[in-house]
Amino acid sequence: MIEYYTFKHRGDALEYLDEVYLTLIPNMTVAIFYGSHLDEGARSQTLLFSEILNSEEGAKSIPDLNAVMEECLDNDSEYLLLRSVDNGIECYRRGQVSAKIIRNGQISILPNGFFCLSSDDRLVCATSNFYKYLSDEGILADALVAESCGEWMNMMIRRISDQNQLKCGNLSAVTLKLDN
Amino acid sequence: MYDFSILPRDTIVAMNLALALFVFAFISFFIIILYALIKTNIYTKKHKDKLNLICDVAYFHERGKREDQEDSLYISPMDNAELTGIVAACSDGMGGLLNGEVVSKYVTDSLRERFPFKFDDQEENAAIISEISNKIYEEYHLGAGATLVMVHIFDDYMNFYSLGDSNIILVRNNRATLLNYKQNYITLMIRKFAEGGIDTADAYRDTRAKGLIDFVGNLKCKVLKTSKPIRLVENDIIIVSSDGVTDSIPLNRLVNHIHFDQNAAGIARSIKYGVKTRKNPRQDNYSAIVIKMKRSYV
Repeated sequence: MIEYYTFKHRGDALEYLDEVYLTLIPNMTVAIFYGSHLDEGARSQTLLFSEILNSEEGAKSIPDLNAVMEECLDNDSEYLLLRSVDNGIECYRRGQVSAKIIRNGQISILPNGFFCLSSDDRLVCATSNFYKYLSDEGILADALVAESCGEWMNMMIRRISDQNQLKCGNLSAVTLKLDN
Repeated sequence: MYDFSILPRDTIVAMNLALALFVFAFISFFIIILYALIKTNIYTKKHKDKLNLICDVAYFHERGKREDQEDSLYISPMDNAELTGIVAACSDGMGGLLNGEVVSKYVTDSLRERFPFKFDDQEENAAIISEISNKIYEEYHLGAGATLVMVHIFDDYMNFYSLGDSNIILVRNNRATLLNYKQNYITLMIRKFAEGGIDTADAYRDTRAKGLIDFVGNLKCKVLKTSKPIRLVENDIIIVSSDGVTDSIPLNRLVNHIHFDQNAAGIARSIKYGVKTRKNPRQDNYSAIVIKMKRSYV
């Protein structure tokens, strides 16, 4: 079973320029594009990112998909690609978009490549603008207290809001729990 | 090649003796090293429990400018801590309601009666707190209530339980993080505003929004609890406190009052005087239990 919750908020920016892509079939795939970080062409790059994922290229393996992304997107594009494979997860991140895993009461950044998961693991994928207002200990505590991915996300949003009332640019994140 | 036959006989004997002594010394050295490694391994296995982190605990319990002391603390006995773990709790009687001091004391007394708690049975421990809450409800029917924050530390792990808006703070790497979220209306309002895609400034403007949505004394309360314990590391500082502490020293300034070479008593003293020197004319009761995780060297 896969439980997830996505969060997209434009913050105090004029428009939402990030992209959060999530599909469950055939394998769960999460992709986050950090468009609001780009100085130029953010809108077009974000649309291109979505187009690639929605085309037949989106079904390719993560290394192949990443090769397509690198070929088509600007050099300063930052994104995260994550897909569940067998009993684990395959991850590729470029730039300041990352996934963090909660395991055995600890939190750590998910490395590029394949990573085995156990049933109690929880994941959060987000842009650096989302993490900027959170401490690892706060994310960890919320993950362990929350009864659902939605509740976990709301707890983190509360922490961000306590610092800036969500006046902080685009916020993009996905919380995940995969029971194998 | 050397021709040893031309050497005097005494020299050859001396050389053989030296060689024998060298071989003997080498074998002895090897045996001693092997023995030391085996003994160390056995010792480490035998004292594995004692090599875990240990808790250095201290507290303060101050009345502030209030007439009554409505905070109540509980620290479990230390003498059997390697089997039961350590439980530290702080209950804060709710302002504006009657019998705050009675209710908070009832909460901590009830925890003392129910100790020891099973570390890995968070559901049962939450049910115990819920049961205490129901008893208070039956007695006062929302006419009295209290908050409760409780940590349970066992080996190098910590579970926590929370009801209301008191604090469980973890200080790690010179940064203080509130672990439990506050169960007040602001939380609900932020959720609504965030879902609507707007900023949340209005949620903080209304002072009534700080009102609690859950507390000890509420019927069928929802106890916040960790489903799995948090791993603690050396030099972690856990502060279990009433809101009287953080009202005077905001979380981001708390670390300014802590020196990391201090023990728990020193940290507790620094925070206590930090609140006192604020000289807040409406200073609420302020109480805290400070736990510093130390490495034991047996």
